[in-house]
Amino acid sequence: MARLRPFLLPGLFFLLMLAAAVLLWSVALPDLLFQIRIDLGNIVFLIGLAGAAGWISARLWLRWRLRRTVEIVQAQSADERRRFLRRLDHELKNPLTAIRAGLANLASAPNQDLRSEVITSIDAQTLRLSRLASDLRKLAELEIRPLELTQVDSASLLQEAFDLAESQPGAAGRSLRLTLPQAPWPLPHIQGDRDLLFLAVHNLLDNALKFSGAGNTIEMRAFEDGSSIVVEVADTGPGIPAEEIDQVWEELYRGQGARSIPGSGLGLSLVRAIVTRHGGQVGLRSRTGQGTVVTLRLPVSQ
Amino acid sequence: MAEKKPRVLLVDDESAITNNLSPFLERAGFEVSVAEDGEAALNRTADYSPDLLVLDVLMPRLDGREVLRRMRSAGNWTPVILLTQVGESSERAMALEEGADDYLNKPYDPHELVARIRAVLRRARPGQPPLAAASRLASGDLVFDRRALRAWLAGQELTLTPKALTLLDYFLTHPDEVLSRERLLDVVWGWDYPVGTRAVDTRVAELRRALKDDPDKPTFIDTAPGHGYRFLGEVRPQTAG
Repeated sequence: MARLRPFLLPGLFFLLMLAAAVLLWSVALPDLLFQIRIDLGNIVFLIGLAGAAGWISARLWLRWRLRRTVEIVQAQSADERRRFLRRLDHELKNPLTAIRAGLANLASAPNQDLRSEVITSIDAQTLRLSRLASDLRKLAELEIRPLELTQVDSASLLQEAFDLAESQPGAAGRSLRLTLPQAPWPLPHIQGDRDLLFLAVHNLLDNALKFSGAGNTIEMRAFEDGSSIVVEVADTGPGIPAEEIDQVWEELYRGQGARSIPGSGLGLSLVRAIVTRHGGQVGLRSRTGQGTVVTLRLPVSQ
Repeated sequence: MAEKKPRVLLVDDESAITNNLSPFLERAGFEVSVAEDGEAALNRTADYSPDLLVLDVLMPRLDGREVLRRMRSAGNWTPVILLTQVGESSERAMALEEGADDYLNKPYDPHELVARIRAVLRRARPGQPPLAAASRLASGDLVFDRRALRAWLAGQELTLTPKALTLLDYFLTHPDEVLSRERLLDVVWGWDYPVGTRAVDTRVAELRRALKDDPDKPTFIDTAPGHGYRFLGEVRPQTAG
């Protein structure tokens, strides 16, 4: 039945036009010339035929497009899921291997000093796994838990996150700058969950600190654009290779340059989840050897 | 044997956890017994009469929630620490129905578990429902409806953010206990949050403003320097009306 659905309405239309044409062809209308009647009937018949054919092909084409889109999206999400599982496997493998090695080492450790050293390292690995579990839970929860919406003073939030980043030991040697608009008016307040927005901005600054070195510059700037505010966090760090840029927002993704830097690989995914929940968008531009700028666009009110 | 050791019933189907946790708790000064599922927990509660249960939620046959529900409906008010996440609002609503004395999220630090066991035992009033089982609590001029998450000070309803109300709820159900910022964060926000300790300070400041509490001479929330916060007021359950 469903297969016939695209044909029903156009079919009905065609029959209606056919009936009108037959009426014109056959019924005697004494006031009109025979030839005009035939011509009119032909025109009505042709409109019915062409209209029905066009209508049906348009519907079939739309249907096919929809099916293609669904297939593509399904393939993409299957791909993403596979990549996620592979990365998760990888993230679990290393600490687990370290723990097993530590335990084997513990069993054969000759003295107490060595034993406590091993125990400390096992403990560190279990903490790493706990953090991973907690970040994964955070991400899952972020997608469903209700936002606690208030009027957020975006300027003071950015200032607070910036001050905190500046006071971190990782900020040493970098030049940090914050630019907030003052004229003609300051940054507007936005509606949002302050704690979550703070977390997003904090993660970006934390990344900028982690992926830069002494002598690098980190800038955070914000401005109003239409009914949104735009926050940019830029650094003159090593940058991200072009082929990795699309993947940096994915869960547990770590680029080539990020392997040696501690982290769960979930920081940017959290940022994206938070901004999306606020009806905003994220973006990233980067050039290797020059640096990276991450952009958050947040609607002033939802 | 000057003092009798408190008896703890550890309920978890994961023997890898109980095998390591029992000796640890014993060395921390408790007498420990283990039950590996909900039914065993109910039986052990009857014949072992523990002073406290550490109850996992996800278990085969009878889960932790059901065990707690059956205990409470039978009028058994033995303190219970439920091993679950209480940060989410749905979970919190359930927590109120259940009347567990405290919550801890897996994976937890065993030292933290010991600290909670001690705190719950200290607060417990034998045979009586815990504050966490009451739907309305009062302290001085302050009245708090835990079901509706509404608070009144001297009859005036307070305007507070949901987080501040949740925080107040935790303070009121854990009076006279030093609560670290990390712990409040875990309970109210439900996750470790970078620099979350500031978020806690912000909400405590909000509560103090609403409660007209002077941080230097507090009647409700006291700062324990270097440790966290402590609710000073005496809290009593209030029957609805």
